[in-house]
Amino acid sequence: ATGSESTLRQRSTVPKHTPPTDSNTAATEDAPKKVIKSVFTSAEKTNSLIALAGLTALAIVSRFYKINEPDEVVFDEVHFGKFASYYLRGSYFFDVHPPLAKMMLAAMGYFIGYDGHFLFDNIGDKYNDNNVPYIGLRALPAFLGAMTVPLVYMTMREAGFPILTCALAAFFVIFDNMLVTQTRLILLDSMLVFFMMCSIYSYVRFYKTRNNPFSLKWWSWMIATGISIALTTSVKMVGLFTVATIGVAVIWDLWELLDIRRRLTMQQFMNHFYARAIGLILIPVVVYLFWFYVHFAILINSGPGDDFMSTEFQETLKGNTMADGIYVKYGDNITIRHKDTSVYLHSHAHNYPLRYDDGRISSAGQQVTGYSHEDPNNLWQIYSDNVENTKIGNQVKDKDVIRLLHVATSSWLLAHDVASPTMTTNEEITTYSTNEDGSRFNETTFQIILESGGDKLRTMASNFKLLHQSTKVAIWTHSQKLPDWGFEQQEVNGNKNLVQKSNLWLSDNIEGKNASEIDQESSKAVKTRSFILKFLELQGKMISHNAGLTDSHPYQSSPIEWPFLVRGISFWTENETRKQIYLIGNPLGMWIAVASLAVIIGVSGADLLSRRRGFYPLNQDVQKRFYYATGFFFIGWIFHYIPFFLMGRALFLHHYMPALVFSYMVLAAVHGFIFIEGVDGPISDPGPETRPRQLQRAIVPVIAYATGIILMAIHLGSFLFFAPLSYGTSAPSVAGLARRKFLPQWDYHFAK
Amino acid sequence: MRNGHSSAVDQTGVPVYRGSQAARGSSLNNNNSTATDSRQSLDESREHHNHSKAVHSNDNEDNSRFTKFKSRRSLPWYQSRELQIVGAITLLSLIVRLWAIDYPTSVVFDEVHFGGFASKYIKNRFFMDVHPPLAKMLIALTGWLFGLNPSFDFKEIGLDYIEPKVPYVPMRLMCGIMGVAVVPMAFYTVRNSGHSIHAATLAALLVLFENSLVTQSRLILLDSPLILFTAFTALAWVNFHNQRKNAFSDDWFIWLFLTGVGLGLSGSVKWVGLFIIATIGTSTINQLWDLWGDLKVSPRSWLNHFIARAVCLIVVPVAVYMLMFEIHFLILHNGGDGDGFMSAPFQMTLGHSLQDSPLSVAYGASVSIRHQGTKGGYLHSHASVYETGSKQQQITLYPHKDTNNDWIIQKKDGTVPEGLEYIQHGDVIRLMHITTNKRLHSHEHKPPMTEDENHFEVSGYGFKDFAGDANDEWRVEIVENNDEESGKFLHTLNSKFKLVHTNMNCDLFSHKVKLPKWAFEQQEVTCMRSAVLAKTTWVIESNIHADYPEDAPKVNYKKPGFLGKFLELNKVMWETNAGLLDSHPYDSRPSSWPLLKRGISFWGREQKHIYLVGNPVTWFMSTAAIVIYVAIRGLLFLRDKRGYNDDFNGLREYYELSGGFFFVAWAFHYFPFFLMDRQLFLHHYLPALYFAILLFSVTFDVACRFIPSRARLVALVLIASIAIYSFRVRAPLTYGSEWTRSECEASKVLTTWDYDCNQYPDNYAQYVSNAAAKTAAVESTTNAEEPAANVDSFERDTEPQEQQAVSEGEGVVDAVGAGAAVAAAAAVAEPVGEDAQITDPAEAKMAQDGEIEPTFDFEVPVEDDEVSENEKNDA
Repeated sequence: ATGSESTLRQRSTVPKHTPPTDSNTAATEDAPKKVIKSVFTSAEKTNSLIALAGLTALAIVSRFYKINEPDEVVFDEVHFGKFASYYLRGSYFFDVHPPLAKMMLAAMGYFIGYDGHFLFDNIGDKYNDNNVPYIGLRALPAFLGAMTVPLVYMTMREAGFPILTCALAAFFVIFDNMLVTQTRLILLDSMLVFFMMCSIYSYVRFYKTRNNPFSLKWWSWMIATGISIALTTSVKMVGLFTVATIGVAVIWDLWELLDIRRRLTMQQFMNHFYARAIGLILIPVVVYLFWFYVHFAILINSGPGDDFMSTEFQETLKGNTMADGIYVKYGDNITIRHKDTSVYLHSHAHNYPLRYDDGRISSAGQQVTGYSHEDPNNLWQIYSDNVENTKIGNQVKDKDVIRLLHVATSSWLLAHDVASPTMTTNEEITTYSTNEDGSRFNETTFQIILESGGDKLRTMASNFKLLHQSTKVAIWTHSQKLPDWGFEQQEVNGNKNLVQKSNLWLSDNIEGKNASEIDQESSKAVKTRSFILKFLELQGKMISHNAGLTDSHPYQSSPIEWPFLVRGISFWTENETRKQIYLIGNPLGMWIAVASLAVIIGVSGADLLSRRRGFYPLNQDVQKRFYYATGFFFIGWIFHYIPFFLMGRALFLHHYMPALVFSYMVLAAVHGFIFIEGVDGPISDPGPETRPRQLQRAIVPVIAYATGIILMAIHLGSFLFFAPLSYGTSAPSVAGLARRKFLPQWDYHFAK
Repeated sequence: MRNGHSSAVDQTGVPVYRGSQAARGSSLNNNNSTATDSRQSLDESREHHNHSKAVHSNDNEDNSRFTKFKSRRSLPWYQSRELQIVGAITLLSLIVRLWAIDYPTSVVFDEVHFGGFASKYIKNRFFMDVHPPLAKMLIALTGWLFGLNPSFDFKEIGLDYIEPKVPYVPMRLMCGIMGVAVVPMAFYTVRNSGHSIHAATLAALLVLFENSLVTQSRLILLDSPLILFTAFTALAWVNFHNQRKNAFSDDWFIWLFLTGVGLGLSGSVKWVGLFIIATIGTSTINQLWDLWGDLKVSPRSWLNHFIARAVCLIVVPVAVYMLMFEIHFLILHNGGDGDGFMSAPFQMTLGHSLQDSPLSVAYGASVSIRHQGTKGGYLHSHASVYETGSKQQQITLYPHKDTNNDWIIQKKDGTVPEGLEYIQHGDVIRLMHITTNKRLHSHEHKPPMTEDENHFEVSGYGFKDFAGDANDEWRVEIVENNDEESGKFLHTLNSKFKLVHTNMNCDLFSHKVKLPKWAFEQQEVTCMRSAVLAKTTWVIESNIHADYPEDAPKVNYKKPGFLGKFLELNKVMWETNAGLLDSHPYDSRPSSWPLLKRGISFWGREQKHIYLVGNPVTWFMSTAAIVIYVAIRGLLFLRDKRGYNDDFNGLREYYELSGGFFFVAWAFHYFPFFLMDRQLFLHHYLPALYFAILLFSVTFDVACRFIPSRARLVALVLIASIAIYSFRVRAPLTYGSEWTRSECEASKVLTTWDYDCNQYPDNYAQYVSNAAAKTAAVESTTNAEEPAANVDSFERDTEPQEQQAVSEGEGVVDAVGAGAAVAAAAAVAEPVGEDAQITDPAEAKMAQDGEIEPTFDFEVPVEDDEVSENEKNDA
């Protein structure tokens, strides 16, 4: 077999292809009718173990090599180091990722005696100067990054690939520059990829026990799969891609079980279904929630994340500002602040211009604006709409109808059906002097709707909307500044979209209330809130913030660039020594991997088309292995890559890491498909109803070893060539950098 | 396509097994020859049924079908029941859809845009729109034929058509008639898919009495051409499919070709037309896959199938689409308000011209420098200062030619060498602004708009004979070059370069951020560290130096050919389309469409209102048909796996084939919207609705197989009557006609329909009295209304005159003095103010409705014209 074409042709003769045998397996061959326990001989198992040990050692060396360098904060260590510190302090923070990996880092810090005093504020901050045990912190991701390698090896092995193929996959994973750089720093991706591989490994093991359903082994591996996908998702939401990969495989499996030819009754099928629902849905959900429970249990103090959460949530944190809130009574002079833009509702003795620049006409009434500084003009006195019963001194309740008097100019806040200064769709807000007649009374009444913080208006704690009674608009402001005539303050107008989140205001101060009054009124006690409510709120915020990360970043890239490694990310630079860490994959390895993905598509396409025409080019076992094992890894690649195209947020090259691991597995499998004759089989555990099957052995010809070694050599060479940029331990010369610039978009520092 | 059963469904609705195909064929023939009218219609439907069902290609059968087909055609037309029905329905739809099409007599909703584009076509002025040109050109053609005066610009909703004698009725009729044509298309699509006349009639009636389709096709909008071409494509494809037994026959080719033309036309109206392309594409792949699996089809013959489809369904549509753009470019050969969207070479084809400039750039040359990353124009300065930061002179980007764009290149020390010394890559230079004698300068100040820490202010600094300082120094780094020479030396046009500020190591940068009014809303220029390369590249566009030799090599933009222009315009359209992210009061998300949660307010005046909302009966029935289809297919899919073979005597295949096609079409016209971030509207669902209605009629037909034929007619009449009644109830919103408050309240099926019933009077008599009162009021206050009219008139004027008018107006107010001004303002404002109270909100609402689709900044260039005025004043 010299090339894919000829092997394909040989395989097309299905019946002629007798299972090739090996001298070692002669004994087993003699009794083909017996159920075969394992396809591998003991010698082979020993060889496999040796290979595994060697690769693991290489992996550990590659990840831990000079892990103490640089002793500075690198790239996103800024975030994840900081979060670990917050865990150790117990102060509440907010992040878009689920808590597990960050808690693992914090736990690591706890065990090595780090107290969370350092906040990792800037890239380049010195660890040694600040007495941070960063080597210990980095050791955790580095260790898990290294452990990914044996997992890859064992997964391939369990999927029935020969040692050469498995070693090839593991070798490519070890010596990929991106995997090395990303896993030896205080980042989350190492945990993500580790748990992801755990999931895939467990699932393969689970699938192999399918002939003994509901056995202990079957249950164990299924639950292991469930727990692993939960752990993956608890690291980053990207773990959902792993869930999808496993999910598709499970659904496919169930679909096959449903087939009438499998002779399962509906009852038996439903048992299969319920078992998977428990093991792969229920248990993972519980595990996922558990980490959030721990998260809330650790973070009990008020911290930098308070402002992201609702007031009810903040009240559960020690030392929160909500506790200072006091109840507002009719007749109080309050300030009203916009929740999103933090400006005060403001008015002053200046009027809107009669005609705007675009020719529209205004009411020329007094301006109402949003002003960001404290000012007596921010004070509003709160009145009831009921003129007879003024309710002065009563507390303001939810859904009360109120009027707001601007204290400094003694005029009523008013909304009416005139277009606002900058938005023709929204209503103008103005005021109306108390000296005039009461004919516009109806335009000055607003309903106060509390969105949070109980049913009575309380400073700090209550977020509310002000709904204009007669025209149904909500008072709203946005960051649009008014022109000169409005002193460049923010425009305030009436928003017809009543449900918009930015309609919320809060009252942050009551004029003249002194501290003793506050002490009397407010209870400082920390409140409790049910876990599930806290979880749902945090999860919602995480999703919406994640989607909101649309700001562009100089090193962001689009998913289409990733497999081809169009651009890297500058992680860290040091000006004096001209050292730098530049995140980039192993270019040659990645390009070969992309080519192998193309081979998969080509071969499966050709196979489908020829089978449709009645030709069966692949031996049945080879074909089955090709679709079920290689195809599964390919699906893994698809699911960990394609969904990124649908995301609007800023994306980075390192988001490709999980997919990259799959692509290396596919690469090795494709190498085996081309150069190795036949497959080892059967590999699944036999069950009580399994018909005896003939043992099959793969023939690994010399050319397979030769090409495998050439591939490894190319990969290793390419790795070593780029290693200075990946480890940041030595500074290549300008010429050296220029040589490493395979593509013009690789924008290294110090290249000139 | 499936190799199926020789079963069929009897006309009586009882599914029966047929014996030999041949016997059936002959019996049909016999029946036909003696057909009475009613018998004949039954036979026709049976024939059709067989037509779609018949699968085993059997000469005998084919023959019989063929004769049958011919005989049907050879009947005198007035005897054909089918034709009579279609004729009647079409006539009805002419009446229903074109009724009172001349009302309202003013600009409604997006007529603002599409009418406006027609004016621009007639003026041959280039404009930019996110939609391909076909439908707009048709509208323009109609307008031109009927004498549209291009000075009428459809500027805002509610603008009167009558007085400027706008031929709006023919323009609306053009769209309206296209809407009418959809009705017979629906009939034939269902009929030719092998369904009964009942089902076809029902489909046509439901399409006809669909309020949203009626509303949308009565106005100058793109949707009725889009739906027509989409429907036509589907019909042509169904006809093509029916010819599958006669592969490569004339009819086969004709319908395949027409499908391709239909695809091209749909795509040339709106990009939503791509969805029908996806539908047909999927269907084609399915056909080819089946053919590939059919071992009787030789590979060679399969290849012929493939090539025929590739040519007709890919080459033809692309050719049609490009042809439309070619016509578009031929018509719009003058510059217009769309120029600012296009690159400099593109603009060269729009009547702008640039003199050839010497290639090499020497110190002392006077140059203009164009920004490459945005279409913002030239590096510009003028004698006004920043009101923030350093308060030094402003540096901006300005899109038009102006002497303020000219800079002199000096050496690092601020001098100009004797003789010609050419600038090389890496040279450090200074740039002197010629008209104000300031140098391009940057320093550690915050720029006026951008808050980012990587940005620094760029200003003009210095005065005549000032030696300058180190912050005036910029290094030229050539980043992209056409040939080797232009990589070493700075060449006009050929070298794209960065200007790096040597002191702060930041790059001269610009982005699409407008400066405030005090800087005439021109584009901000900053110096940015680690910026995206594209936004820091510049190119020298004109290059003048007294010492250049006469014979110096010259260079100019290469005018793009058709293909270049075509690609660039499509790219800009794509980017603009994706950028339509603003929210609109009536926008909606796709998830709300199938349930018709909310409509769109189009127009309102004089207690009449046009509000786009569907016929809820039709709408909900069509959605139900989708749900039923999915449920049944899903159930059968699972049952198949469990070994049940339900084929309901062939009924299943019948449902899955034609129903499946309409379902796929619906899905392709609906789900892709979920991927779009841009603002979306209810009317985007209309093509999907069309297919959902067809699916409903198929469902109806299948359901009818279980009831006797007489009951079938009753069911048809019943469903149609309910739909028509429902249409009638909401017709006043469709036609903008008179209504009462109580009727309006009663018409609201969902509480989320937000048309305001309070605007209607309690009874019809009030319309008469209100009109009378109004006339009286107008007569009594003619004088008072005059100022308002004035305001209107100068709002409508454009360009420099407007500037003048405004400044004159201001002058007058100033002259009156403060106290008097207030009085005067009050006097003038009263009537206007009243107006603002009553009609302004409506107008305001409408104006913003006008922003609905693509109102990106058409005004940009106009404003810039104002700016140039301003600047001249300033200077």
